[in-house]
Amino acid sequence: MVKAFPGVLALDGASLEIKSGEIHGLVGENGAGKSTIIKVLAGVYQADSGSIEVFGEPLKPITPATVHRAGIRFIHQELHLVPHFSVTESVFMGQEISSPAGLSKGQMRRRAESVLKDKLGRSISGRKLVRDLTTAERKLIQIARALIDDEVRIVVFDEPTAPLASGEVVALMSAIERLKNSGITIVYISHYLDEITDICERVTVFRQGQSVAVFDTVTKATGSDLVTAMIGREIASVYPDSNRNPHGTGLNVKSLGDGKSFQNVSFEVGRGEIFGIAGLIGSGREELVDALYGVNKIRYGTIEKDSKPIKISSPAIAVANGIVLVPRDRRQDGLVLPMNILENISLSVLKQISSYGFLNRKRERQVAEQQTAKIDIRPSNPKTVTRFLSGGNQQKVVLARWLANDANIFILDEPTVGVDVGARVEIYQLIADLAANGASIIVSSSDPAELIGLCDRVATMTRGVLSGVRITETLTVDRLVALTTGATQEPANVT
Amino acid sequence: MNAQVLHKRSFIANVLIRFGFVLVIFALFVFFAAWNPLFLQAENLTNIVEASAILMILALAMTLIIATGGIDLSIGIALDFGAAAAVVAMKSYDMAWPGAVCAGIIAGSVVGIFNAILVVGLRISPFLATLSTFFIGSSVQRIFTNGGGPISHRRMPDEFRQIAQGDTLGIPNEVLVALLLILVYLIVLEWSVWGRQVHAMGMQRSAAIVAGIKTNRNLIIAFIFASATCAVAGLIAAANIRMFTPLSGFSYLLDAIAATFIGAALHPRGRPNVLGTVVAVLFLTMVANGLNLMGINFNTKDALSGIILISALALAVAQRKASEAMLLGSRRR
Repeated sequence: MVKAFPGVLALDGASLEIKSGEIHGLVGENGAGKSTIIKVLAGVYQADSGSIEVFGEPLKPITPATVHRAGIRFIHQELHLVPHFSVTESVFMGQEISSPAGLSKGQMRRRAESVLKDKLGRSISGRKLVRDLTTAERKLIQIARALIDDEVRIVVFDEPTAPLASGEVVALMSAIERLKNSGITIVYISHYLDEITDICERVTVFRQGQSVAVFDTVTKATGSDLVTAMIGREIASVYPDSNRNPHGTGLNVKSLGDGKSFQNVSFEVGRGEIFGIAGLIGSGREELVDALYGVNKIRYGTIEKDSKPIKISSPAIAVANGIVLVPRDRRQDGLVLPMNILENISLSVLKQISSYGFLNRKRERQVAEQQTAKIDIRPSNPKTVTRFLSGGNQQKVVLARWLANDANIFILDEPTVGVDVGARVEIYQLIADLAANGASIIVSSSDPAELIGLCDRVATMTRGVLSGVRITETLTVDRLVALTTGATQEPANVT
Repeated sequence: MNAQVLHKRSFIANVLIRFGFVLVIFALFVFFAAWNPLFLQAENLTNIVEASAILMILALAMTLIIATGGIDLSIGIALDFGAAAAVVAMKSYDMAWPGAVCAGIIAGSVVGIFNAILVVGLRISPFLATLSTFFIGSSVQRIFTNGGGPISHRRMPDEFRQIAQGDTLGIPNEVLVALLLILVYLIVLEWSVWGRQVHAMGMQRSAAIVAGIKTNRNLIIAFIFASATCAVAGLIAAANIRMFTPLSGFSYLLDAIAATFIGAALHPRGRPNVLGTVVAVLFLTMVANGLNLMGINFNTKDALSGIILISALALAVAQRKASEAMLLGSRRR
């Protein structure tokens, strides 16, 4: 199959074969062509050449309607749900059942509830409002939408776990397994290779518009085989070297509390140190991060930077003190999406690039180009609106903004959520470089492997209490997970 | 395709998007001129510009508030307060004209301060907050004037009347004031650091906050600045007819909102912007004037304005789509 966009071959003779009844993984860096082939399959793009067969029958023409009729459904990455709609209304949106007497509300509700329970294994009341659901439940609603008629034969999942916390991922995985067991064929696209190796029977790897390898994960592929195939070369390690030299104290937090979500939190981060915070959703980790940046109110305790106490009551004050945040929800809080790369980067240095309050557009462009050259944002045209960038490139723009500023305390909240492996490696390297230049870095993450691979020390947070700070060399993923879930209560051996 | 070419293409596309609407205006202009030769006479053209001065000033204020992500339904109240304070200052307190001007601007600013308290202090949405201000402000005027009668000031100082009735270098003074304010708003909203921050917070408040922008401070400044601007329009209105007419500002509200949104529709990325608003105000005033001269029935005139507006915007959108398609054709994937 070939798909050319002017100037670029997005798909260059890629092919994909999926056996009926299997879970088939699709991996590749951003721009490798996996979303393009899915869009061709969905009838959104027209291929320049190539064909599709579904269960032996050629699909022609390929339009959204014929694809739907062939029993293929797509679970898109974005949720696209209306917050104040009920579960029933959301499941049936656009495919309502009606009789001459109006909408058959009762019938729809029972149907929605039974699909959720029988096919996805989760009881959710049809009367609940979407805004009261967890993200994982919303994802299930979205899946239920696709399953509501019985002609479904193939379901394509595009990055289904991107917005989910690790606990919720397990629930989604079991729902997908359940679907598979009911005889539905599944195509599963994800950046998370552990999910792919866990759940998929076979995996196709995309690189530069071609399908470069097909693995049979059950027998032999491991995560690193996949990475090698995706990137086209071997990378020694996803994580950068950790021979840093932390010294002194950059940030000193003393018995901090907000009266609700976390209590008596104390820790120190050295200059040039990467300090990790692990913890489940609801452990107070997110609230702590927000409080350090002035988004959440602090009720008691002190924060010292370079041994001087500071009072952070708003993000503006945090930034003025050289403390910056890369937020977990970058589409909501990280970027002004309708603005372009240039405008998003310069947002942190508007004062420096202006004279007498007037913006100097030439200086603005220079600053942005310096940053984009340093950290390889694609496309490199700084006038590209950030809404159209991939997750990894969006995250790089947020980082570039703070690199342009002379901040020295970086708080990174879930820095690599929804970021592909290639960009992840680059972002880790950037973080390590920052630390090597003497910045103090706090990484809050729900990915234990990331914390162990990247950080010098990791603290765990459970039920609002920050406990045991450990040097990462002494930790394994299993032990860190056990510590965050409270499964083990071992005392911290190193602080 | 290299970035240079891309950049050039997008420049051409931008020009097309921006000036497509200007072409529509030009076509209408030719049409009105052909229909009635009176339209083209210098006197009538001056009329159009003069008549648009007050709306222009109010629309600038509206553009600022809409750019912050809110809306201001009380711009008319700020105009009324500005006019009332200036007239009363001169009539009852024998103030000289500079004093009257200051009194007017201060009175207008009070409206903005009130809005800022409601929106920033009490966290009421701008729509409801400024609607309340509108209700309260209207009532205040009725009480103050014992039911809404005008306060006239026949012996208004000549210098004050000059604001609306004099010329400088052959240009009507109120047009000069409007031009000056256009320049001020260009600086404030499009060329300054503050303006960039306002656009950012208007598009995505939470991201602006995380980027370290003082959104509350900026909102307060914006509301006060906008209402002070509206008070200037009030001064012109008062000087023009030598009186304060209560509740007269309200009639401009919908046009000011329309002008801002037309202006945003003309922007390549759909942002509220000063130049777009200026073009839109001239368009609205020209259409009103042209239809008048065509001698069209008062009852059908508004419908025609609506139809002209819809057609012009549809054309502008079609043109933008065409240019975007051109852009997309050259975009790297």
